[in-house]
This record gives sequence, C-alpha cells and structure tokens, in this order.
Amino acid sequence: MAYFITRDCIGCTLCARICPTEAIRGEKKQRHCIDAALCIECGACGRICPRQAVRDPFGRMVKREKKKDWKKPVFNLDACMACGMCVDACPAGCLELGAPSGKDKNAYPVLADSEACLGCGFCVDECPVDAVVLAPPGT
Amino acid sequence: MKRRGYMGKILMVDLEDGSIREETLPDEVYRRCLGGMGLGAHILYHRIPAGADPLGPDNMLGFLPGLLTGTGSLFTGRWMVVGKSPLTGGWGDANCGGTFSPEIKRCGYDGIFLRGISPTPVYLYVDDHTRELRDASVLWGMDTVETEIHLKANAKAAGKRPKVICIGPAGEQVSLISGIATDQGRLAARSGLGAVMGAKRLKAVVLSGQKRITAHNRVEMKRLSRICAKWVRFQPPFIPGPMTALVGALMRIMPAVITQDGLLYKILLKKWGTVSMNQLSPEMGDAPIQNWKGSSRDWGFRKSYSSHPGVFSRRETVKFHCYACPLGCGGICAMEGKYRHTHKPEYETVLSLGGLCLNQDVDSIFYLNELLNRAGMDTISVGHAVAFALECYEAGIISREDTGGLALTWGNSAAMVTLVEQMVRREGFGGVLADGVRQAVYRIGKGSEAFAVLAGGQEPAMHDSRNDPGFALHYSVEPTPGRHTLGAHLYYEMFQLWKVVRGVPKMPPMYFKGSKYRNPRRQAAIGAANSRFMTLVNCSGACMFGAFLGARRFRLFDWLNAATGWDLTPNDYMELAGDIHTLKQAFNVKHGIEPRDFKIGDRALGRPPQTEGANKGRSVEIEAMMTHYWEQFGWNPETGKPDPRVVEKMGHAA
Repeated sequence: MAYFITRDCIGCTLCARICPTEAIRGEKKQRHCIDAALCIECGACGRICPRQAVRDPFGRMVKREKKKDWKKPVFNLDACMACGMCVDACPAGCLELGAPSGKDKNAYPVLADSEACLGCGFCVDECPVDAVVLAPPGT
Repeated sequence: MKRRGYMGKILMVDLEDGSIREETLPDEVYRRCLGGMGLGAHILYHRIPAGADPLGPDNMLGFLPGLLTGTGSLFTGRWMVVGKSPLTGGWGDANCGGTFSPEIKRCGYDGIFLRGISPTPVYLYVDDHTRELRDASVLWGMDTVETEIHLKANAKAAGKRPKVICIGPAGEQVSLISGIATDQGRLAARSGLGAVMGAKRLKAVVLSGQKRITAHNRVEMKRLSRICAKWVRFQPPFIPGPMTALVGALMRIMPAVITQDGLLYKILLKKWGTVSMNQLSPEMGDAPIQNWKGSSRDWGFRKSYSSHPGVFSRRETVKFHCYACPLGCGGICAMEGKYRHTHKPEYETVLSLGGLCLNQDVDSIFYLNELLNRAGMDTISVGHAVAFALECYEAGIISREDTGGLALTWGNSAAMVTLVEQMVRREGFGGVLADGVRQAVYRIGKGSEAFAVLAGGQEPAMHDSRNDPGFALHYSVEPTPGRHTLGAHLYYEMFQLWKVVRGVPKMPPMYFKGSKYRNPRRQAAIGAANSRFMTLVNCSGACMFGAFLGARRFRLFDWLNAATGWDLTPNDYMELAGDIHTLKQAFNVKHGIEPRDFKIGDRALGRPPQTEGANKGRSVEIEAMMTHYWEQFGWNPETGKPDPRVVEKMGHAA
C-alpha cells in the first residue's frame, strides 16, 4: 500500500523534497512517481502538493494544506512514560528526548524541530498511552 | 502489506566475498519459530555446519529484533545476537536493550545474518536505499563510544540518523569474554559473541531504516499496553537506599517466605534500577561473595554500604529508557576523572567487581564500568576472572613475579584497576585473564581449577545458586549455561504463569525456604516452565523485568496474538517455545556438546556446604533436577540429548 501521484502532477518537486524516505522520483516539470516499496504513507506529499495530485492508498485525493497550518504533536507529560516510541517512529527526526527537569530524571519527548515536522501523526499512532495529540500550531 | 508484526525477510551477508542478499521467509517459519531467538535458532541450526570453528568463517552471527518489537507493545525493545559461542562451544546468544532493535525492522528485516571472515576490517551499512560493506580501517582500535560517535557523525552529514552496534578493542583482539555494544555503553555481553564479530573483522553494524512496523490489531495492542502501563505507573514512596539491606537481612532470617509479587521488584527497579539489589542481595544470600567462597558475613552492611543504591541515584543525571520501556531502570551517571559520564553500573557489574572481589571502592567500580563498556567486555566474566586471580594469588599459586608486581590481595582496588586495564589491552598478567576463567586455568595450571567457578566454560552471574536452586538448574541445563536471565525459583514466583497457563506448578502464597531444595521433580517442572516462558520472551524481544510484573499484567500471549493475527492459546505458545528450546539443545548436540558437561562447579552447588552466612548448610542436588528437567522436554534423561526424530518431527531435520 502506498500513495500515488496522478496525471495532475506538474513536476514542481515539492513532494520529492519533503518525502522523508526519498521515495519520490521525477524530473523537474515531469510527472513524479512514488516507489511503493519505500512509501511509508506519511501523506506529506499530498498535503504539500499545490495541484492536489496525490491520492492515498484508498484512492482518495489528499487535500492540500498550507505548511504553516499543519498540525504538530503536543505531549501530555502527565501521561507520558518516556518510552521513546514516538521519537523512534518519527520519520522526519524532529522529535528528541529533552533534558530532565526538577526531581524527575526522566527525559521526555519534545518537538525539537518544528519546521521539519510533517504532521504525519506517526507519534500519535505509536504512543501506547495516548500521551500525544496533534494540534494546530500555537494551541 | 500484510499486518502481522514481522517484516517477512532476512538479510544474509557473506563477509568473504562481500555479497549481500535478501531472503523472504514463509509465514510457516514465523508460526514455528516466532522471531528473535527462535528465528535465530532456526537459521543457525540449519546453516552452521557441525564442528564449525566458532572463530572461523563457517560460524554465523545473527542480529535479531523480537517478534513484538515496534508493534505497540511495551518492554519489547530488546535485540538478540546469536552464534556459536567460543566460550562454550555450543549455542550462544546475548541480549541487549537500547534503541537498536526496532531499527532492524525499520530496515525491513527480521534478522541480519553474517558468515565468513572479511579480509580487512569492515562495517555493514544498511538504509532504505543502500546495503553495503564499508571500510572500517579508520575505526579499528577505537573504543565503542568513539566508534559510535564517529559513525553517527558521518551518517548525520549524509542526512541520516542511524543506530549503531559495534565492538571495542576487546572484540577486535578476539577476547572470549567480549560483547557487542550499542547506545554508548549498553552491551550484549554474554556468550563471547564480541569475539566472533572481531574474528570476522566486522567492526560495526549501522542501520538507518524508515519502514513502518505493522501489527494485526493496533487498537488491541494499545489496550494491552495500557493495562501494563497502569501497573508500571503504580509507584508508592519507598524506603531510603541503605534500608534495602534490612529487607535483605529480614529475608535471610525468616525460615519461610511470602511468594514474591514482581510489583515489589518493579518499585525497586523504577526507583533505583538493578543497583537496588546491591545490599539487599548480599544480605539475603543471593550474591556470591569472594569468588563464591565467602558469605553474607564477609560482605556485611558496613562493607556493602559504599555501594548502596542511593550512591548511584545521587550520581544519576538522567534516566535511560530502552525503546518501548515505560520503566527506565537505566541511567546516565556523572563521574570524575578520565571519563565524565557512564551508563549507570548494573547490579551484576557492581557485585562482580565489588563483593566478588571484596572491593569496597565504588569509584573504581564506576571507572571500570566505563572502561569495560568502552572496551566491549563482559563485566560479569571480568569480575570472575579478577576474583579467580585474587584467590590464586592469596593461595600462593601465582606470585608477585607472575603478576608483574601487582599485589592481588582481596579488595585491593588499585591493583584491580591496573589488572583490568591490562586485560583490556591484553598486556602483562592481564593477557592471561583476557579470555575468561577457563582459559586462565589452562594458562596458570598448578591446581588453579579449584578456584574456577564455571558452567560449561561460562562464568555464572551474580546470583548464588545455593540460595536459589533454580539458578543452579538454569546455570547447568540451559543450552547457554551460566546465565541468570533464563530462570530461577524467584523468577517463577514473579512470572505468575499458573494464572494463564494450564498444567504448570502453582505457587502457594507462602512456603518454607527448605522446600526449594526438596522435590527435584517439582523444581524441574518449574524450571522447564521458566525456560519455555523465557524462550518466548526472547523470541518476542521482551524484557525480563517487564515479565516480572506477572502474566496478567504483562500480557505477552495476548500481545503476540494481537500483533500477528494468530489465535493461539498460552499453552500453544509454551509448546512452541519448548520446541525452540529443543532446537537450541539439538544445536549443541550437533556440535558435539555433552549436556552433562555444562553442570556448574561444585562450589556454586554448596559442595561442601558453607559453614556460615545466609546459605549455611545449603547444597543443591543438581543431578536429579537435571534429569527431571530433561524429561520435561522429552530429551534423554541420562544424557540430556533430544531424540533426532523429535527434532525432525518439528520440521527441523538437519
């Protein structure tokens, strides 16, 4: 199962540049294509595509969103158990374990590189205790 | 893509000709072997020819995540290295946490196997686009921390965030007690598999994958994880560090004990980590002292006080959680001197370099911990080798001339530090000890074997088999002898298997200590259930400390079904695990091992019994227990060898 680029593609290369697994190939101004073996279904290609030329594995068109509006992970540290699963799952490498504070010596996850975040929600899927949610920036 | 928990492929690397190829495995193999240790046993049993030299080209090394790794389950981030052990000559495995395990699956594999010997030092690099052997001549000679930092920096420059495992100078020099390191100081230390990696001239494995790890029913996985997390979160205030010694003393004095609930141990682990046992264990008689000849009296409260748990928590700057671990028993500690920080020493390290050698200098233990982590050397085996040398010196078997001027007296921490530094560099008298106790006996001779405590060539762990006959059994009968992470009477109490598995012995709420030493048939049945369950744990990539929570809180069987989509009962899984255990034993028989030879040395069995201390008068009737244990698996009760027809029936004919 993988995302798919339709004929509406104008070869702007935005998708190829944002894909965290380098699964998208194509010449500039030519239709791009996704290597199904490498696609991890993060959906970033679809959200960034100006022509809405990307469909998800179920054939649904992926709606374009402005990158500044992409949702970002927010951590509930009361529920978080510092297991690191979200950090490991992040395909963009934008999560890190932060420095401990106060008496609690656990290192909890933080969004270290907000710009790199794809809003894919893998961290939310992975978290076993539902301590991560995606929220619009600034909330 | 099928959602089933495993990736369906393995990577085979031939270091001789540099070829790398993928192999797709049928679902049937996973149904039979699960993953992790089971998959490793399946591949190695078939592909290592009988009689292969453990340090030669025909031996194979496999790195495997668990079947449950990355599926949303908790405590399942451990990876396994498997191969033929140069220490025991038979099945070898070692197990390590950290963050490496899911990366194997993210690269798309359930295992990476290597054979052959590379003509020059190399490291294996794998990402989503590349699989290649790269030159490691620059890395050869670097310690494990330097190697990891170097490789990660190189990969970061290429936009990657890899996970690394590597050997240090000890592995490079083919020390038979060397291991494989990850996360700058966590070691898969046992079975001497670092030597196998060094003999293959494989310095490191660098992985950077992005593939998603699937599970059949992630919602159910999360539900089960939340049950587990709830119990891990339960953490009432607990006593100060030195008070743990009183708990141990109480357990020593009482003739009867309450069957232990692992929740108590979890509280200790979460607060301090394994060092919580530093005083408790010696007081209750669980820790071998002074090369196993001493007792709790020789390592009393005042002597063990320097390493009480609070000493370690004060130096701890941040807790270390392995991948998917909600507990966080590890930590990073600040230290002064040559090294600025180190992974918090484990209980095994503290006692093997402390009580086993009567060394009260905790600073030397911190230093040696980091030194050995960087060298990639097993602290348990090193502690034994040093303790063995100390006893030889005190007994006059070796002299100051032999040791190059070192006064190897009990508790002489300065001499110990110098000796271990020599072991790492294979210099001076350290070179005599650098391959462990068995090789040291061959080199020293003069009756020194009387002071060697070994099980099948491997140094046992810091849990006294006279105090818990379950340890004596598992040290002696497992295909990997001398290991403390495969079973014990105490572990069985905490696993609480009888609550979910039919037909296994049930523990009463309270029992007299003496009952553990009687009824070998029951003890063997307990041991067999332990072995089956721990095999399952090691196939799943799970952590024993999670399993200590008890079968109803740590829902291993349910997680396995939810991850794979299978519909097996706990008894089905235990039966599968028994088959995998049999396969490991068959591996040993194929390679000429006589299972009886793995019996641990007399001193550790209480022969003769100690005359004072917590284990006074205790001795273990190991032979009867071994016979009954082998019967439990259908192996020959006299020889411990599985019937070849049984192995064939399992679908594993060689």
